[in-house]
This record gives sequence, structure tokens and C-alpha cells, in this order.
Amino acid sequence: MDAELYLDYNTPYHRLDARTKIIVFLCIFVGVLMFQDPRWLIPTLLLVLVQLFVSRSARNLQRIRYVLLVMSISSIVLWNFFASGTTPLFWVFDVESMYYAIGRTILIFSIVTMGVILISTTRNEELIMGMIKMGLPYRVGFAISTSLRLVPTVAASLMTISQAQRSRGLDLESGNIVQRVKKFLPLLVPVFISSIRNTNIFGMALESRGFGAREERTYYLQMQMTKADWAVLTFFFIYVAVSIWLNVAGYGKIVGLVRF
Amino acid sequence: MTEPAVAIHDLTYRYRGTKQNAIEGINLVLERGDFLVLMGPSGAGKSTLATCINGLIPHFHKGKLEGAVIVCGKNTRDHTVAQMAEDVGLVFQDFEAQLFSTSVELEVAFGPENFAVPREEIATRIDENLTYVGLADFRNRPPSTLSGGQKQKLAIAAVLALHPKVLVMDEPTTDLDPISKMGIFEITNRLRQRSDLTLLVVEHETEEVLQADRIALLKDGRLVKVGPAREILRDVDLIESLGLMPLGIPRFFKAIGFDDTAAAAELPLTPAEAEVAYRRGGWRISSAAYEAMVARETAVEQSFRAKTPLIHCCDLEFSYPNGVKALDGISLDIYPGDIVAIVGQNGSGKTTLAKHFNGLLLPTGGTITVNGKTTKEQGIFRLGQLVGYVFQNPDHQIFSETVYDEVSFGPRLRGLPADQIKARVTETLKAVGLEGTEEEDPFSMTKSGRQRVAVAAVLAVQPDVLILDEPTTGLDYREQRSMMDMVRRLNENGSTIIFITHHMWVVAEYARKVFVIKDGRLFLEGTTREVFSHERELLEASLRPPHFIQFTNRLGRTMLRPAELIECTEGGAA
Repeated sequence: MDAELYLDYNTPYHRLDARTKIIVFLCIFVGVLMFQDPRWLIPTLLLVLVQLFVSRSARNLQRIRYVLLVMSISSIVLWNFFASGTTPLFWVFDVESMYYAIGRTILIFSIVTMGVILISTTRNEELIMGMIKMGLPYRVGFAISTSLRLVPTVAASLMTISQAQRSRGLDLESGNIVQRVKKFLPLLVPVFISSIRNTNIFGMALESRGFGAREERTYYLQMQMTKADWAVLTFFFIYVAVSIWLNVAGYGKIVGLVRF
Repeated sequence: MTEPAVAIHDLTYRYRGTKQNAIEGINLVLERGDFLVLMGPSGAGKSTLATCINGLIPHFHKGKLEGAVIVCGKNTRDHTVAQMAEDVGLVFQDFEAQLFSTSVELEVAFGPENFAVPREEIATRIDENLTYVGLADFRNRPPSTLSGGQKQKLAIAAVLALHPKVLVMDEPTTDLDPISKMGIFEITNRLRQRSDLTLLVVEHETEEVLQADRIALLKDGRLVKVGPAREILRDVDLIESLGLMPLGIPRFFKAIGFDDTAAAAELPLTPAEAEVAYRRGGWRISSAAYEAMVARETAVEQSFRAKTPLIHCCDLEFSYPNGVKALDGISLDIYPGDIVAIVGQNGSGKTTLAKHFNGLLLPTGGTITVNGKTTKEQGIFRLGQLVGYVFQNPDHQIFSETVYDEVSFGPRLRGLPADQIKARVTETLKAVGLEGTEEEDPFSMTKSGRQRVAVAAVLAVQPDVLILDEPTTGLDYREQRSMMDMVRRLNENGSTIIFITHHMWVVAEYARKVFVIKDGRLFLEGTTREVFSHERELLEASLRPPHFIQFTNRLGRTMLRPAELIECTEGGAA
């Protein structure tokens, strides 16, 4: 079963240094926070979509499409409860709060997509290396990347386990959301047990190969910033600077919006 | 005098929260360059002893340790596991869980990195060790794309990259197909030539441990016997009494009264030795007896072919969403009441094929019908009533707090009345040999116990067909036998049985018919005898008959069991 998150392509985006990709991720994160008005968020959204396209990561995004859909719909509805405006639409929905909700949804979508792009194009070790080179302790970097590594393992065992239960007559495909969730609960027991078991072996294997044996450690993987990295970084620094300037100058706000 | 590589003194260990010692009073010394194999039934303490050597016990698994383990002069009590890693390498049975890097070379680099080995030196070690295990061409591949055997080889390379003086392997081949197994043993054999490396291997497979210098037999946490490999293996009665698999060849020769006391007449152990001994002993195979035996089998085969097939595959194809073709035009028939084995290399498509039989997977090409209707129109819920599927790992299946809840899950889902459910549970638990365990917690049972619970849970809906995916993996010989004897009883009571396995002796002993899958295609098919007579073709599919069958193939006939050869043997006492 193919549950890996990393997509082994050789796109220009894959070839970027992990540090560049982490910084780009942070730049978008900051940039997207600078605007409320969805119209002002369109450039950022386009920037994200271009990256998604160049890095060929759409496949991974597609895998979480249901999560994205549920998230987007609830975001578009729920933000209306936390804001109001001057032009009523119906019930708690105002034109301004609706704009605001759409803006927040673009924000969430952009950040999630950037996260997916980052892990789809960066090997685990590169991610650790990137984080270490940016000043994080090795163990912290390792812990973060290990938790990412667990995702495909847990997904794979969930798949096997749901197959095992379906073979026994558990019908996971019918019923409403509540019924389905209820039916899924028993599956979690074996998922947890097998995950704990795997983690245990993983821990033993790590220690048996000398994890943390010495204070200092060499890194076999070498990373080199190239001209492309600097070009991309320059572009994104300008993007962040412009976004912050626009924000300070008062652009991108929704007139008449009151947040609670 | 040089100090021994491993010295174990009066070692007793008890896991925290348990009442019994896992190992007790172990004394064992391994000199440098020694190759010792540790054998014993499930729960004998083999893994416990193995993990004592690199300090996982007592540092990782907490508990009460008495005595001492000294490895290369270091007491494991005073050094962390990571510190010991330079001296002791440990390879685990589970080849999935012990690899964690995204490329083969980084996997090997991980150990030396931790010991601050200079980068250029790491590069050299990667080359050297990947070449050693034969994975040099795979250095940039993600480990997840390797086959099971290759993963285990990678695990060995990753450990060897630390240049350990002692290498411990805990059942490295249990989950592998016969040829991948051989690949690992081939590496082991080369390793043993290295005088600087001491090897300790925990192993189930008696046929493969002939190469060892010594064998230590372990039972209930105590050493039963330590001695030269051939001497221990010749003692088939002792091995069998410990619940281990005795070699078929010495067992046969003992049964026909081979005179072990005569000068230069050592009880043969390998197929080559056996052939010589058989011919020298003046024994012959009676063609008439053999042909009569084959004729009986052919008659049975004819009677099956006269029936309507229960499962019928025609040009079955299956591709995963990512485009990988797992099945490529398989056509086969399975008849009601049969007992069939599906064999093949790791990743050949066996499990994918079996998952079509109960509708878990639907073909992307060709057709499959069960009981005359396609699996698609029947759906998994209805098919589940007809075709039960026991997954490889019982822990993927079991989730209830009591055996009763677990076994009654299927009947309850299918809306049976309460009294009938109760009767069903009692009946199925009896069938799997677990009567009276209704109130027990399945998670606290042994692996073979959980395996039986899983089978019972599937049997409880009374399917006509039972599919078992690797029912004997992770069990010791005695447990394997009793599991398969149970499966055979179910077959005799009318169930159609399809099992997937890597254990060739299980196939030889229990299957009537065999399908060999290779690269998603049906490579060979026939009665068990026919299939095992094609030794060369089997080799292409990474399979190999058990030693005993290899021996009879050398004699020109295929006998599945010692009893058959005894029946067909004439002459002797020349």
C-alpha cells in the first residue's frame, strides 16, 4: 500500500534546499495573515497554487480532499458567528462577515496546502537537516520528523484493519456520519495497539543503532544553497515585505467588519 | 588469553509486572568468531536473551536482572544501549519497523552518524556494506520500495556499518519467502568467515542452521543443551520434544533403522548426504508402490475436476490506483471441499489475489465469480457470509475485551438471535481448541491463542470457504502443527480451505493442491506432489521444497513425507 507522504519526483521545487522550503512556508504563513479581504488574498492564493503545480503535490492534497472540504465548509459557515458587519444577508450572515469567512478559509487552505507541499517535496532527513541548520536541536528536529513519519504507518495499518473488519461483515460504508463514526471506533483499538507495538520496535532499533550515543554527530547528508534558492528567497522576502507594508498602510481590510 | 566476545554469567531476568522469570540461570560463553544459533519454542526466552546482549534489557525493558552480561569487556548494566551499539549490532525480525530512513544509503549512514564518524568514512562504509549484502544498486531507493528480503539485508548492512564485534539477529528470516531466507543465510555464512565477528542468531528453521558452529536449545527460560550443530540436529527426538521442527531426513533414516553405530556411518542430515546413504544402504524405490500412490491422487484430482468450481477466476487483473499492476491475468478454479495453498515470493501478489476471493478488492480487469456470481454483484457484506478471511496478523483483527465478544461479533452483525449466537460461539471455540475461554481477555493470550481467536471469529459466521493468510507465521513448530491440524479438521468437516504461506513443509504436509504466483501471474499449478517435483521452476519463483523432498527428487521421485518414502522403499541391508 502506498501511504508515503513524500512524492519522489525531480521537480525544480524538489531540488530546492529544505531551508528555502521551510522559509517559503513561513513567508506564506505571515503573508496570508496580513489581509482580511479575500480579494487581497488572491495573489497569495495564486502563489500557493503555482507552487502546488510546480511541485506536483496535488496528489497528496487530493488524498485529504474530504478533510479539506469539511474544513472549508465549516470555516465558511462558522466564521460568521465570530464577526458581523453592516450589510445583513440573512440570520447571522452579513456581507462583511461572509467576506471575512471566505478570507479565513483561503488562509486555512493556503497554510494546509503549503504544509502538504513541504512534506511532499522534502525528504524526512532533509527536513531535519533544514531545521537543525536553522538552529533547532537535533533531537527536536528528529522528533518532529518522526511524528510525520508515523502518519503513513498509522494510515496503512488503519487500512489493513478496516479491511479485516469489513471481511467480518462490518459495514463501514453505510449510515449517517454519527453511525459511521460509531462503527469506526472499534477499529481504533487494534490501530493503537499495532502503532504502539511498531513504535516500540522503532525505539529499540534507534537505540540499537546508537541514537544519541555521542554529544556530537556527523551528518552524511549535505545541503547546499544554490542560486535558485537565493532567487526564490529574494522573491518571497519581497512578497512578505510588500504584504506587511500594505497591511500597515491599511490595505486589505474589510470596511465595516466587527470581530467579536 | 583474549577475553571472550560475549560472556553470560548466571543470567536471570524477569520483566516488570510478570511473576515468572523470562530466563533463568543462563551461562553461556561465545568466543570471538563463534557462530551460535539459539533455538527454542515460543516463550522460551530466545528474544529476551538476544536483547540482553546489547543492553536493551535492562535499559529499554525494565525489570529485574541478576547475573551479568559482559560483551567485549563491557558490562551491559553500566553502558547505555546506544553506547553498546558500537560493539553489538542487533537485527530484528520485523523488517518494516526497524527501517526509518527515506533512502537506502541514509539508512546505512544513520549508525555511523551517531558515533560522529567523519563523512568520507561514512561514504566508504555505505559502499562497503551495501556491496556486501548486494544492495549497491539500490542506494538511492526508498527502503519502502524494497522487497522483504532486501529490507532485511538493508537492516543487516545498517548494523554492520557500525563495525560491531558481535552481531545478534533475532529471527531475521521468519517473515521471508524461502529464497529471501537463503539470501540472508548466505550473508550469515559469509559473515561467519570473518574471524573478527561473533554471530548469534535466533532461528526457527532447522534446515538452515546446519551451518552454525553450535546450537543452544532453550526451553522455559533455561538452556537445555548446547553443542555442535550437527550433533544437536541429529537428535531428532530431543528437538521434537522441545516443540521444534525435526529434520525430515534424519527422522526418515532413523525410522527405516539406519545403523548409526557402524563406523563412518553418520546419520545423514542434508539432501546430498541422504542420497548417498540411501543408495549405499541398498534401498530402492518401488515403482509399483509409487505409481499406485500417484494414481490414488490422480483419481482424487479427477473427482474434484468433475465438480462445479466454487471460485472461478478468468484473466483476473488488478492495478492499484498508483498504476502498479499487482495481478496480471490470473485464471484458476478452486473446487468445493478442497484444501489449497497459494505460495510465492514476498510481494508476488498472493494476498492481493486472496483479497479478491471475498470481494475486498474488485478486479480492474477479467472476471472472478464465487458460487457462480461475480464478486462485484454480491458485495463484501454478503460474500463475507460465504468466504471468511483470516488476516495475517491477528492483532489487526481483535478488538474486544473478551473472547466471547470477539467471536460473537460476526453473528451479532448478521442479526442472529441471542441463544443461537451463544451456541455458535461455544461450537466454534471448540473447533479451534479454545473451549471454556469465553471470558478471557484475547490481548493477554499468546500469539497462537490470538491466532485461534481470530480464526474462531471468522468461523463463527459459518462460511463455506476459509482463507487464511500466513496462519503459521510467528508460531513455533508445535503451534504450527496444531494450527494446521485444526485447519485440516475444518476441511474434513466440509470447509473449503485456501491458505497462503511461506512455510514449504506446511504446504507439503497439508495442501492437496498448490498455486504458485510469480510477479502477479500464475506460474505453476498442480497437486502438491507435481508442484514440488518442479524444483528448478520453483527456484525461479523464489521457492524451494523442504530438504526431505529435495532428497527424494534426487532419487527421481517426489515424496512429500517420510512415511510415503517408507511405504515405497524396498531392499536395504546391503
